[in-house]
Amino acid sequence: MVSVDRPTRGYRVFQKVNGVVLTLVVIVTLYPFVNIVARSFSGERQIRAGEVTLWPKGFDLTTYEVVLRDEMFWRNYGNTVLYTAVSTAVAMVLTTCYAYVLSKRQLKGRGFLVTVAVFTMFFTGGLIPTYVLITSLGLKNTVWALALPNAISVFNLLVMKAFFESLPAELEEAAQIDGLSTYGILLRIVLPLSKAVVATMVLFYSVSFWNSWFGAFLYLDRSELMPVTVYLRNLIAGATGGAGAGAGAEQLSQTAANIQAVTIVLTSLPILCVYPFVQRYFVSGVMLGAVKG
Amino acid sequence: MPAENPGKLSRRQVLAAAGSAGLAALTGCGSGDDGGDAKDLSKKRNGAMREYRVGQQFKATRPLTFDVLHNDNPVYPLRDDWLFWKELTRRTGVTLKPIGVPLSDYEKKRSVMIGAGDAPFLIPKTYHPSETAFVSSGAILAVSDYVHLMPHFRDKVAKWRLEPELDSIRQSDGRFYLLPGLHEKVRSGYSLALRTDVLGRLGLDPPTTWDQVHEVFRAIKEEYPDRYPLSDRWSTNTPYPAAALMSYLGQAYGVRAGWSYDNISFDRRAEKFVFTGATDGYRQMVGYLRKLVAEKLMDPESFTQTDDEAVQKLLGEKSFAISANPQELVQNYRYNLERQVEGSAIEMIPVPLGPAGPVVLGGARLENGVMIAGKALRSDDFVALMQFVDWLWYSDEGQRFARWGVQGVTHTRSGGEYRLEPGISLMGSDPDAEKDLQKDYGFYNGVFAYGGSWDLVSSMFGPDEQRFQDVMSRREQLPVDPAHPLRSVEQEQASLWDTPLRDHVTQNTLKFALGKRPLSEWDAYVSELTAKNMRHLVDLHNRAYERFRKENG
Repeated sequence: MVSVDRPTRGYRVFQKVNGVVLTLVVIVTLYPFVNIVARSFSGERQIRAGEVTLWPKGFDLTTYEVVLRDEMFWRNYGNTVLYTAVSTAVAMVLTTCYAYVLSKRQLKGRGFLVTVAVFTMFFTGGLIPTYVLITSLGLKNTVWALALPNAISVFNLLVMKAFFESLPAELEEAAQIDGLSTYGILLRIVLPLSKAVVATMVLFYSVSFWNSWFGAFLYLDRSELMPVTVYLRNLIAGATGGAGAGAGAEQLSQTAANIQAVTIVLTSLPILCVYPFVQRYFVSGVMLGAVKG
Repeated sequence: MPAENPGKLSRRQVLAAAGSAGLAALTGCGSGDDGGDAKDLSKKRNGAMREYRVGQQFKATRPLTFDVLHNDNPVYPLRDDWLFWKELTRRTGVTLKPIGVPLSDYEKKRSVMIGAGDAPFLIPKTYHPSETAFVSSGAILAVSDYVHLMPHFRDKVAKWRLEPELDSIRQSDGRFYLLPGLHEKVRSGYSLALRTDVLGRLGLDPPTTWDQVHEVFRAIKEEYPDRYPLSDRWSTNTPYPAAALMSYLGQAYGVRAGWSYDNISFDRRAEKFVFTGATDGYRQMVGYLRKLVAEKLMDPESFTQTDDEAVQKLLGEKSFAISANPQELVQNYRYNLERQVEGSAIEMIPVPLGPAGPVVLGGARLENGVMIAGKALRSDDFVALMQFVDWLWYSDEGQRFARWGVQGVTHTRSGGEYRLEPGISLMGSDPDAEKDLQKDYGFYNGVFAYGGSWDLVSSMFGPDEQRFQDVMSRREQLPVDPAHPLRSVEQEQASLWDTPLRDHVTQNTLKFALGKRPLSEWDAYVSELTAKNMRHLVDLHNRAYERFRKENG
């Protein structure tokens, strides 16, 4: 057990190399993001000339002003928060219930239920039939059009199922003997033990709902209902599209160069702030889901 | 954008889905299926005017409401309190209910809504030939059958002799399904912009022919041997390299090139269709480009660089000429040059002349237009709907209203001069103004304002564009290619041949221009085209042309 007291030479070399490689990886991943942030604060000319690298050049807040001054931006941002919260809540309830049921080996028809879920991974109803369905259910222009169709992600479902399967069955048996009902077991025993996977799933779901735009674009008809992703997508299209009656007021062509950077910063900021807090669970969650006990 | 978004589909997939599902969902909506004779409109006159003639204000006899698909432009986001909506209802008795669709993905949503049978009656901002995808399902109306309800439309078509242009959008059944924006004259968009201060310093006049352009570039090159006189843009985000330059250069040689390129074009003398990329005019045009590149007068990167890179070279005085449109000239080149290069001046010259003389290519007098949903025909309000469309998009009064708004509120008009009311700005015309004609009032909105008389269209030009268009509008417009609609089977075959041929032309145009392939190999290039079914494609179109001529006179 030499290695415990004094690491071997090989191990020390490995650690150094490891450190260097990982630092490089960090730089490579961090650079684009820092660059985007720098661009978002830079002047149009400097960006076009390719002068902006790590630090803003020709400090300019016009684009932030244009975007932030817009009432519609804030309303759509609020929509995004609401849609993400509702969708994630719905998705978590449904996915947890489904996954918990599937984790019980004694369940009759379990194979069939898994197949039903997996089937939807490979085959979808198609764009127009789905649209017709949502429309005839009267979900158009409501949050449910966004929350329900994607409420269960099969990938997340399977990860959660694997996690539940890894919990010792003895715990639940003990709870049963103590008189807890099925729901009681789920709520008081299983879920408190599953914080890691729940946090991970919340993160997965909320990031994907936060970023999604297609459903909203398809099922919402009024700009005041749109999430911020659609707003920004449209803003970029308008800034780069150019031609046509009345496109491109001076103000907008002025900001075209860094508008992309600003939008990326503004949309990824909140999710970025959440990450550090969930990260602890996230790491153990992914590990636990992956390796069955 | 999330990569795992399950709804993310390519436009082609969406169109295919729209086509096939539309067929299934909408076979009941064809023009013949309304429980009676489709041509009998006597029961569909709810709200319609009994007498509606040219010059008359349309006013529905009872209040009507129509849904309209609204392309939501971020420059002037859709608002319910626009004066446009209120005043429109006051004048016509019609309330328009807009369904806002972000501009970024307008076509996609339009396809889905039409395919699902959920489209509103009015579907504006449709560019030909995108309506073709919906024709076979019957989801959209063959509007040509109902233009007798539209006196202003017919009046403008007759007055401005637009029949040949309309023929060009007819489908193989001889009808058209799109009510396009109608222009009295071609509005030229692009030309060459030159640093006039540099020309002045070298004692040169702005060139008027392509030969003079060549001389001017040579003089600039002598003065600045290490720089390229021309470094061009519009090579990315378009399938063609230097797409704008080739388009207006091709015009000087009487051929469609660059982003106007079409494999098939009509030869007036031979009275038949020929293959554009193999014509003599096209070869001459390529030869001219080669000359510019070979003498290092044109930056070879022109064909590949991004717009930003090209503009950056102009602003950094690494080049002195670039393709322009009036908007880019004023808002980008001049605006930035003034801040970066002292004493600089840049002007856009009228398109230089070439062997074809003072001409502009035909066919540009139709703009994007309105589709009407097929189900509108079953509505009791159908006649009123058509009359309303006719008034808003095709009457002088309606067009003026859509562009300039309400006299005395947004603008004043004396003679042919329009003036915005104080405190109202249009596209930055008055930076201190509190209100904006587009953003705050909803006028000059791309959804409703297009086409029109030359007086009306030119009333919105800035001084630069006015000068440019004055010269261009005096040039002769080449006739439009005659109608030759393909049947759907032919269409499929044609598109199989079309793309490889087009790619081959584009690639070799670039090779010839850059000197990677000598022009002496032109004949070899033409035989390569033949091997790619060039003759078959031309024959197919000529057969369609003969057939259409026989069937429709």
